[in-house]
This record gives sequence, C-alpha cells and structure tokens, in this order.
Amino acid sequence: MSESTGITASTLARQIINRHPQVSSRPLGTNEIELVVPSDKIRGVVTMIDENVHDALPESIFGIDLENDKYELIYIFWSHSNRMLVQLRVSLEGERPEIDSTCDIFPGFEWHERETREMFGIEFKNHPDPRLLLLPDELEGVFPLRKRFQTDQSRLDETGIAPPKARPKTGGDDE
Amino acid sequence: MSPDILDEAMEIWFGPQHVSAHGWATKLTLVGDYVVECDPNAGYFHRSAEKVLEYKNFRQGSLVLERMCMLEAFLAEYPYVAAVEKIAELEVPERAKIMRTIMMEMSRLHSIQFWWGQFNAELGFFTMALWPWVDREYSLDAFEELTGSRHTVSYSTPGGVKYDFTDKVLKQLDRAIKRFEDRLPKFRDMQMGSPTFRARTKGIGQYTVKQGLKWGLSGPPIKACGVPMDLRKDAPDPNLAYNMCDWEVPITENPDHPGESDALDRMEQRFKEAETSVQIIKQLLPQLPEGPIIDPKARAKANRLPEGEAYARVEGTRGITSLWLKTQDKAQTAYRAKIRGPCIASYYALKDLVPGAKFADFIVIFGSLDPYPGWWDR
Repeated sequence: MSESTGITASTLARQIINRHPQVSSRPLGTNEIELVVPSDKIRGVVTMIDENVHDALPESIFGIDLENDKYELIYIFWSHSNRMLVQLRVSLEGERPEIDSTCDIFPGFEWHERETREMFGIEFKNHPDPRLLLLPDELEGVFPLRKRFQTDQSRLDETGIAPPKARPKTGGDDE
Repeated sequence: MSPDILDEAMEIWFGPQHVSAHGWATKLTLVGDYVVECDPNAGYFHRSAEKVLEYKNFRQGSLVLERMCMLEAFLAEYPYVAAVEKIAELEVPERAKIMRTIMMEMSRLHSIQFWWGQFNAELGFFTMALWPWVDREYSLDAFEELTGSRHTVSYSTPGGVKYDFTDKVLKQLDRAIKRFEDRLPKFRDMQMGSPTFRARTKGIGQYTVKQGLKWGLSGPPIKACGVPMDLRKDAPDPNLAYNMCDWEVPITENPDHPGESDALDRMEQRFKEAETSVQIIKQLLPQLPEGPIIDPKARAKANRLPEGEAYARVEGTRGITSLWLKTQDKAQTAYRAKIRGPCIASYYALKDLVPGAKFADFIVIFGSLDPYPGWWDR
C-alpha cells in the first residue's frame, strides 16, 4: 500500500462536483467534508470515491427519520492514508423511499443497507440480499427506528410477542 | 459450482447453542470437509440500543454504550461521551484526560487477555486459555476498586470522569501491569513458539488489505497486514492524552505475504497491541497532574444540549468504534444516535472469507478476527 495518490477532502469534493454539479459541499473539520448528494446521483458519487481514494473504508450507512415522511441517509467513508473523512448526506421523501444500492461497489455496506431497510423502510434497489438483519420476522414492515414507532406497550399486539405478565400490586401478598 | 456437487451438500448451523457461538449463528453449507457457502446471521443479541438511546438523557447514554461490549467497557462508552462533549463544547480537565486514556488502555489490555483465552479455548489450547484469564482478574480488581464494578464501569462522563484514582487503585494498576509484563514472554513463547498452534493458524483466513478495507475491517485485522491504520495517531482526540506520550502504531508485516494477513499474523498483532498499551500506560501514569477530574459546570451543561450533529470515534480493541449523534435545540435526549461497531465488518467478512476453507478452520478464521456480537447486534 505504498501508492502515493494523496488527495485532500476539498480536492475530492471539487472533482465530484465537476462531474456531478448537483452535489454541494460543506466543510466539517480539518480534512473532513460533507457532500449533499441528490438520491439519483449516489452511485456516481460512491464510484468516484472508490476510484479516487485507494484506501476508502466504508464505515457506515444509516438513516435519520425527520418525520412527515422525510428521511436522510448518511454515508461515511474514512481514508487512513489521507486522514480524510467524507460524509455523504442524501434526502429522501415518501412513505417507502427508494435509493440505489451501493454494496456492489463497497461490499461492507451490504449489512448497513439491510439494517437501514428494516429499521426505516428505505428500499435499496438491486440489493442482493434484502432479508431482515437484526429483527425477528414478526417485526417485518414495522420499521422500529421511525419516530412514529412508539415503544410503550400500546403497540404490543402488532408485534405478535406475548405480553409480559402483570406485576403483583404489592410485594409478597400472593405468597 | 455445478449443481450436482450441491446435491451432496450438507447444511450445518454453527450456533447459537454451540459453546463457541456466544450470541451468533452461522449457516454453513458443506461438501465433504469443505465449506462452500457461509451465511453469517445477526440479531441474536439485538437490544435495540439505538432506540433506547432516544429515551436516555446525555449522562445516561454512555451506560447503554458500554453494554455493547463489556470486555472493553471503558473504550465502548467513550464515543457517546465524546459526541456529547463536542455538541455541548465542554472542556475536560487535564487530569481527567490522562485518567481516561489510562483506563481505556487498561480496557484494551483486558479485552486482549480475554480474547487470548477465548481463542485458545476454541482451538483446544487450554493452558493458554486459562493463564491470561488469571491475569485478567488483576485488571478487573483495579476496575472494581475504581468504579465499584468489574465490567459495566460507567467511568467517563461528559466533562470528565466519575471517580478519582486512589492510592489503592494506583497500586492495583501497577500490580496488573507488572504481572502482565512478567508473564508476557512466557505467553509469547507458549503461543507463537508452539508448532501445533503455528500449523493450525498459518495461511488460514488470509486476505489482502484491499479486500479487508472493502469489507470495512479496521483495527488489528488491518494492522496485521502491515498498514498502520490507527485512530489514536490518525485523528487524535483532543480530550484524550495519546499525544502526550511516545509510541508507534504496532503493525505486523509478514515477509511471506506482504500486504496480507493470516490468523497467525493476527495473533502476533494482538501481542504487539498489548505491549503498546502497556507502554502508553507506563508513560502516562507518572504524568498525572493534580487537579479536578470533572468540569463542575459540565453536569448542568449536559442536561440540555443545543441543536447539533457530532461524529465521535475511538480506536477500540477491535477497530473503529464510533457514535453519530444528532440533537434538537434544548434537547434532553438524542434525536438520533447511530452506533458503529467494528465487528459488523469482521462478522460480515466471513461470508467471503470462509468458503473454500475446511470446516475445522472456520472457528480459527472467526476467532482470529475477534468479533463480539454486541457490536453488530447493538
């Protein structure tokens, strides 16, 4: 790994914006940058990161529920040789928003995409394995990390999980 | 693969009830003695930590984080604390910075000692399984004396740390380090000098740096390929004390296969990691200044946070451990907290790494990556 193709966050951002003018950038810190990417350009931008940063590490993909059917996706990449952090932000809308999968470019994203799908209901098109990752089958289609999913017991019926036994009112009386 | 080979294939579930499978289950498809397909399954240890964090205030949050991996609790809780400190713009006293760093390195040492035992037990080398576990007790004694708890320590808190070092804690830390240094040459001899162990791990689970990075691997599995990727040096945290001492990122370069690593290299890497931790602790202990351990206003400031986003990362025992935090104005709880554990990548990697290996080598490949289920299930 002695390739000396050093690149800074601002150079990378400039290259990406030249190719995809709809992308905008915002510095986050020293050699850390955020790119706001339209959802239909995500494959183009991730491919450019793969081509231009030889040791790009796919750190994470995750969703944020902004309520009223608005969502954001964050992609995070780290490059050790350049000490560079790149964060992509994608805005999505709709009851079941869709975006292209990028896990053929970075296999490490496969499980992050599966998790985002089951937790937020964001569909990744052409994902090779869209099964549930962490949730039991009963929670398919429930999307627990959406804000409208309440964690009190009022929604327990939907899950199919047996309700917990009621606590005794006073300790020791039943014995 | 022709379909008639698969006619003879047999499916085996490795876990969740297997003794080595503590909270995970992998479906292996075998033809004869060889694995042709590996399907790692997650979710057996899922505790919806990210949803729980949306209901906990900013001083409680780190307690959820340390339960992701209790073996490295001091390290695991830190990303949350750091993210809160970034958004609240808290100052951390010098003494607290050094104490945090010392305990985080002790935690790394403890986690590696535990892994030695676990990995060797999985391979059937029981002496090397039990000896590091005895030494681990010495670290745990110090943790217990310091925090009152052996595993769920909840030590770092926004703005500093919760408990000060007493003389007894310092004595116990000293004892744990001395004990470790005494025994390290024996361990190294017993482990790396064992022809059985070498034969069992050499050339097993070999991958290149490029493959590893594509899967998202970080930490020892990448450093064992000879790449000094370490957040302690690459992105030093201003609230930790890694730049106050002199150390080098440990790497393992094997001349037989430069830029690649096998299970043996990864064991060698863990020895170097532990040595580096001891080196850091020994330099930091004499540097402890007098002074407060927490900013007195931190408690009030961490009650309600302004609107903001922060991404905090730490080099965990197993790789990049991070937390992404979003808050709304005057928030008492997180709006969104995303935990990124290093092991989600190392468990996922089995899917590509295991096919072609012998069934008996599966546990060698799995163990050498040191995955902990809490980090992918959360």
